[in-house]
Amino acid sequence: MNGDSVKAQAEWSAHLAALLSRVSLSDQRAFEELYRLTSAHLYAVALRIVGERAIAEEIVQEAYVNVWHHAGTYEAARSQPLTWLMAIARNRALDLKRRREVDTMGLPGADDNGPGIEFPADGPPPVDLLLAGADARAIRDCIETLEPGPRQAIALAFFHGLSHGELAAHLREPLGTVKSWIRRGLGKLRRCLEAVAAQ
Amino acid sequence: MNLSHPDRRERLDRLAAEYALGTSPPRVRRRLAAIAHRDRVVADALRQWEQRLAPLAAAVPVITPAPRVWARIASSLGIEMRPPPAAPAPAPWWRRLALWRALTIASAVIAVALGIAKFAQPPGPDVAPVVVVLAGADAKPALIATASRLNRYLTIKPVGNTTPAAGHVFELWALPQASPPKSLGVIPAGRVVQVPLTAPADEALTNISALAVSLEPPGGSPTGQPTGPVLYSGTIERMF
Repeated sequence: MNGDSVKAQAEWSAHLAALLSRVSLSDQRAFEELYRLTSAHLYAVALRIVGERAIAEEIVQEAYVNVWHHAGTYEAARSQPLTWLMAIARNRALDLKRRREVDTMGLPGADDNGPGIEFPADGPPPVDLLLAGADARAIRDCIETLEPGPRQAIALAFFHGLSHGELAAHLREPLGTVKSWIRRGLGKLRRCLEAVAAQ
Repeated sequence: MNLSHPDRRERLDRLAAEYALGTSPPRVRRRLAAIAHRDRVVADALRQWEQRLAPLAAAVPVITPAPRVWARIASSLGIEMRPPPAAPAPAPWWRRLALWRALTIASAVIAVALGIAKFAQPPGPDVAPVVVVLAGADAKPALIATASRLNRYLTIKPVGNTTPAAGHVFELWALPQASPPKSLGVIPAGRVVQVPLTAPADEALTNISALAVSLEPPGGSPTGQPTGPVLYSGTIERMF
């Protein structure tokens, strides 16, 4: 990762953080710019998880209404602005998806064919400038160290919001196996990321 | 379940990881989210895992939502949609330099009178090296803006009674030497406020000769340029 894009990323994050703090002062133009710069990320993440445009749109709408009212709770020292924003949309999408599953006990259909969920075997993924940098490189490298089963389970869970039960059905593996893949995979991921950070 | 107890850290970390990944069962999700509201250790554990996994989300190609999404957000918050580009405006006020010259002199005099201009002493790290006294047409100071050179914010202090007309807000502008004003954002009246800058002050204020406050509709100028009267302004006094 070259110094320029790391610097660009830092500047970009600083810009988003500044917009958020202006939004906390009820600055509508800052809010509009924040929406323009970040909504495509939130929408893409939500759509992957809920799979329906109308619901993903509602999630985005709700997320930004929340941001308007609670931008003051964003703490620049604790998370990057885009991470904070995406977590709002992701968590909301996961909440909705889980609730709907409880209502219908449905599993995603076989036509659940969003953009590829596999990590590309070669070449870097289309890592956006916003999150490009040492962190992105570290997690990619660490994901690569996982065995295929845990790696795929983690990717499916993260990108498509699949629950343990859904993962078991998709991967045709016993529930216990999937649960332990996830648990061990996340543990290994953490150790790997910590080791990279300590270097 | 006291998850923040040191003995439970490992368990907390595992729960937080699954929460961030999204595989926690619904009941655990709700429970964790509720606990995170009142327990900082738990909230930090969740955030840490969200941060760890966040770069993965960058691999998701962005998809721009339909314009109706913004329209709905704007209407539910009572935000006015940006109007279509307006007809060419008359000569912009910031080019009326006579006003500037008058205010420059006024604010320099006031800065000295208020004892804020510490020209005599070399600026130490804690001295505010940028001071702007924003005064009205009557030359009475209304707001004082200060910044340390490495801070990414300007501190705005009201002096005297400054309240925008009902149904309006104050918006702060940086006035570059040769280009139109740049908004620094809406500022609440009557209290000390820190206005964020996109870079450390000495960098963000390079080539900025003055600050001004205009009266704008709620939420700030809809055009990106001052639309209401300029109530206060002052030139930047650099101490570095």
